[in-house]
Amino acid sequence: MKLNIEGLLVYFPYDYIYPEQYSYMLELKRTLDAKGHGVLEMPSGTGKTISLLSLIVAYQKAFPLDVTKLIYCSRTVPEIEKVVEELRKLMEFYAKETGEVNNFLALALSSRKNLCIHPEVSSLRFGKEVDGKCHSLTASYIRAQRHSNPDQPVCRFYEEFDAVGRQVPLPAGIYNLDDLKDFGRRKGWCPYYLARYSILHANIVVYSYHYLLDPKIADLVSKELAKKSVVVFDEAHNIDNVCIDSMSVNITRRTLDRCQGNVETLQHTIQKIKDTDAAKLREEYRRLVEGLKEANIARETDVYLANPVLPDEILQEAVPGSIRTAEHFLGFLRRFLEYLKSRLRVHHVVQESAPQFLKDIFEKVCIDRKPLRFCAERLQSLLRTLEIADIADFSAVTLIANFATLVSTYSLGFTIIIEPFDDRTPTIANPVLHFSCMDPSIAIKPVFQRFQSVVITSGTLSPLDIYPKILDFRPVTMASFTMTLARTCLCPLIVGRGNDQVALSSKFETREDFAVIRNYGNLLLEMSAIVPDGIVAFFTSYVYMENIVASWYEQGILENIQRNKLIFIETQDAAETSMALEKYQEACENGRGAILLSVARGKVSEGIDFVHHFGRAVIMFGVPYVYTQSRILKARLEYLRDQFQIRENDFLTFDAMRHAAQCVGRAIRGKTDYGLMIFADKRYARADKRGKLPRWIQEHISDGSLNLTVDETVQLSKHFLRQMAQPFRQVKPPDRRRVSLRATSPRLLSLCRRTSWVCLC
Amino acid sequence: MASLSEEVLLVVKKVRQRKQDGTLYLMAERIAWGPEGKDRFTVSHPYSDIRCQKISPDGKAKVQLQLVLHTGESTTFHFANESTALKDREAAKELLQQLLPKFKKKANKELEEKNRMLQEDPVLFQLYKDLVVSQVISAEEFWANRLGGLNNSEPAPYSNKQEVGISGAFLADIRPQTDGCNGLRYNLTTDIIESIFRTYPAVKQKYSENVPHSLTEKEFWTRFFQSHYFHRDRINTGTQDIFSECAKQDEKGLMSLVNKGVKNPLVDLLSLEDKTLDEGYGLKQALPSTSNTNKTVKESSNAAIIKRFNHHSAMVLAAGSRKNEVPADQASETSSTDGNSRDSDFFQPPVKKVKLQEAIEYEDLQRESKQKTVALNLKKSDRYAHGPVPLQSQKYTTSQDIINAVNCIQQEMAHYKPNLTQVREQNSNTFLPSTEMVPSDIQGELKHLYVAAGELLRHFWSCFPVNTSFLEDKLTGHLEEMLQTAYGKFHIWQTRRMMRKT
Repeated sequence: MKLNIEGLLVYFPYDYIYPEQYSYMLELKRTLDAKGHGVLEMPSGTGKTISLLSLIVAYQKAFPLDVTKLIYCSRTVPEIEKVVEELRKLMEFYAKETGEVNNFLALALSSRKNLCIHPEVSSLRFGKEVDGKCHSLTASYIRAQRHSNPDQPVCRFYEEFDAVGRQVPLPAGIYNLDDLKDFGRRKGWCPYYLARYSILHANIVVYSYHYLLDPKIADLVSKELAKKSVVVFDEAHNIDNVCIDSMSVNITRRTLDRCQGNVETLQHTIQKIKDTDAAKLREEYRRLVEGLKEANIARETDVYLANPVLPDEILQEAVPGSIRTAEHFLGFLRRFLEYLKSRLRVHHVVQESAPQFLKDIFEKVCIDRKPLRFCAERLQSLLRTLEIADIADFSAVTLIANFATLVSTYSLGFTIIIEPFDDRTPTIANPVLHFSCMDPSIAIKPVFQRFQSVVITSGTLSPLDIYPKILDFRPVTMASFTMTLARTCLCPLIVGRGNDQVALSSKFETREDFAVIRNYGNLLLEMSAIVPDGIVAFFTSYVYMENIVASWYEQGILENIQRNKLIFIETQDAAETSMALEKYQEACENGRGAILLSVARGKVSEGIDFVHHFGRAVIMFGVPYVYTQSRILKARLEYLRDQFQIRENDFLTFDAMRHAAQCVGRAIRGKTDYGLMIFADKRYARADKRGKLPRWIQEHISDGSLNLTVDETVQLSKHFLRQMAQPFRQVKPPDRRRVSLRATSPRLLSLCRRTSWVCLC
Repeated sequence: MASLSEEVLLVVKKVRQRKQDGTLYLMAERIAWGPEGKDRFTVSHPYSDIRCQKISPDGKAKVQLQLVLHTGESTTFHFANESTALKDREAAKELLQQLLPKFKKKANKELEEKNRMLQEDPVLFQLYKDLVVSQVISAEEFWANRLGGLNNSEPAPYSNKQEVGISGAFLADIRPQTDGCNGLRYNLTTDIIESIFRTYPAVKQKYSENVPHSLTEKEFWTRFFQSHYFHRDRINTGTQDIFSECAKQDEKGLMSLVNKGVKNPLVDLLSLEDKTLDEGYGLKQALPSTSNTNKTVKESSNAAIIKRFNHHSAMVLAAGSRKNEVPADQASETSSTDGNSRDSDFFQPPVKKVKLQEAIEYEDLQRESKQKTVALNLKKSDRYAHGPVPLQSQKYTTSQDIINAVNCIQQEMAHYKPNLTQVREQNSNTFLPSTEMVPSDIQGELKHLYVAAGELLRHFWSCFPVNTSFLEDKLTGHLEEMLQTAYGKFHIWQTRRMMRKT
């Protein structure tokens, strides 16, 4: 259908549209018009992606000069591929309606592991191996060596791309990962480099957050993307953690030992080169004098991760003389290493800020701030000069160098914590230096500054106002949309008591309580008897789940559950969990029914959908608070309080509730879907917790479902399931109960006009 | 019908039947009674014919045992030995109790099947009459050949039955009961044992290795329930435990399942993340590597439980669908044989595409008019358009050919002049003799003889290659006899024909 969104003609590839999709587009358009940023929350399964794509593509077509590019960031590979498929659908619809040939170029970009077509390299299992192998075939000096030594193996796909592919732009079209591979195979070009090259002139780019947020990668991939782009972060409820993760560094003794080894290797290599090819080192020295800018015309294939957000002015400067020659630099690194080693020899926990650290290092080993800042750049230059083929081996020294640059660049937003041992095993010495970022806005700031519109969206972003605070930006629009439903297909229930009136809670004091565990087991057992097909249960942490499972096993609860359904349990091993997941789906598929025990904040809770019969009920055992005793978290909470005036408890609750919402939201993936959402903790009934759930869940929690016993829950669930099991008769217009609109009949058109629904078809 | 050597399980003397004294024999496959002083049995019932046995109440003067047959007839034996009558009867009863169930199921099914076959197939019935009733070959031999062949040739009605899966809680159903004196009692049924075997092939293997030779069945199960294998702390399995190997095998099985990977890319957690952080970056340090070493016993036993549940559920699921799994495996194997393992990549996209399409579908936003139809998968559309064509024609007739042919025929028809005399003469040459000269009854007889002889020949040839002594016996012994008989029969029929003719 064609829509008129405040004067913008939007093609929407479906015959009907949900009202919330319309409002979503409206808000989105206002955001784009204002050239500002936006925060939009809309439940999953209401077609968020397609609304976004339809509007932005329409905007791009209408104002090609204002918005040149859409950068769509999502979280996981399947989600990226889903987005591209939806885009394909939209473009097909465009072609059908307008009859024009599509002139849009849209493509997905992913890591080498997902794009490589080199028979040897692509057969490697881990992303890091693939990257390393690829680098050893495509690095600039390897290819240079080939001129003198034709036996040097290179990647023919890259050679072909380099020779031909750059001249011919990728023809317009929609390219998913598999399409890129197909195209690459046909042409004999490397799909990965083709994609990386093509994102510069593509109209739409779909990739994962990291390409934009992780400065090490962003600098390499996304540096030259146009300023007039619209950036969308989908599934962005966890974006602050992604930012923090990409800027934080942990250093253990093992890291330092490996680093020591790296430095030795470098020393040897330098010695060798000095004997054979001293000119090379001299050449490097000369380049370093000229400044980093010139030194850093890195060929794109040299995957030395770029420096973490070096300020521009540094790039103009020359590298300080003290680390300019290779030996001096190695000596510098050694001194730095020794210093770190001495710092790790502590017996009590130390916490200090970056300036304190710098002061200490200056006093003890006379290392200045300035050379530290250049550390990462200098190391890369050295590695390039020495023509190190397998850079994966040098990850330890790279890590240390990156740490040096980060710690000397940012005085605020970071904290250094040195722990002599793990809290759970206080007898075993295992010192760790955490250099942790506490301010997510540092990593995302360049994105907000550079691009004209950044849209943060997800199914669960409540409470909305906290995101602008912690990410430090000023949005022009903030909106939360609810889900219009033809039938109430979700049923949130808060179970507060067992049948014996024992209060159910996962809080620390009652965590080991036998009665609570038994009542939790009882709840699962009763639900397993009445819910058809699949049930997913989430626990607050892995350890907690292990304990509960063990004690359920002892009490014979699991055996009783097995009478009703098969039991699958998430483990810490991803491969094993994948197997369990697939078997779980198989058991749901063949009618036997199954239960999946899983962990909030785990991989399952973040990336797997349980549509329809794969998840007829989700049970959230306890409130998934983060482990509050960790010092890093405490430091971060303190920082949030001081810098952003966010109270600790507010943030903890917000964090717990967004994860709870994520978990229970896994089961509802559309309006034809239905499912129970059972919150098994009495604390959910409190207003401060409940109020932080997304609106679309909150508004279905009635006062009658606040503090239920297990029996009452079973009664309500039975009723709900019986109702939902009736065939869902879709009432098509002109019936008013219909939730999605289609303007075909004149009557409806008039209705639309009255209600400001303007439809063009 | 006398079998040459039969194992006699029980002999009871002084048993009266129809007021006649005699001896009762219980043999491996039948029960028989012979009058005293005579060398043959006047009563003989295969166990499979017996529906049930009845005994007279204890207080009664006469100690009797009654056998009720499937046909509804019954035979009553009266145990007449005054001193041991009751004991004799008990012995016979006990033995019958053990024997009858073994034959019951098989017999019923077989009888039904035989009956059905005879009723449905008149030719077979006639053959049965010719060969069995006239005692050319024994009924057993007749059926042995028949039923086997039938099972092989059309397995459809048998394998169509849906296989019964395994209850997920079969281990929970064998809750032990205390027997009151510091021990536990497990009740095992054949169902449970089968479930255990199907779910844990390793146990089955152990069972077949050990049971008749080194352990009794009871001991085996006792050990099974005592073993750590059955219990949760499997990690402590000692070496003397015969089930420690099973645990290892299970582990291996789980590993292989895990290594097989998942077909559905949407649930593959390994490839979910696009770009993982390098080691050393991020807030959470890599826990597993460090915590593995200093795990407490409790933690690892908890992990073992979790592993075990996953394995158990996977095995139960697999046991229920083992039938379907095999062809799927083969299919994937054949598809991945060409080229290296990575070639599964080429195989993957369709599944992925379908799953992705499913995931982005909003059915309620679409117009309903689109009905989902099954696409017609035509390998040769030409053939579909023109129907089957005889093999000898090398090329398919095109539509134009057909139109031409029809035109041609129409023309021919228009100019058709019937030439009746010729038609009749041709007819008389070919068909008349058989129908007019040979009466139908003789035709029928001849046909029967032919079929019977054919059946015998089939038996004859089925003996080759002669690789067992039984076959040799059959060949040199009674088969030759039978052929002789058949030939004789034919000869008789022929002479009778000749006699009648002349």
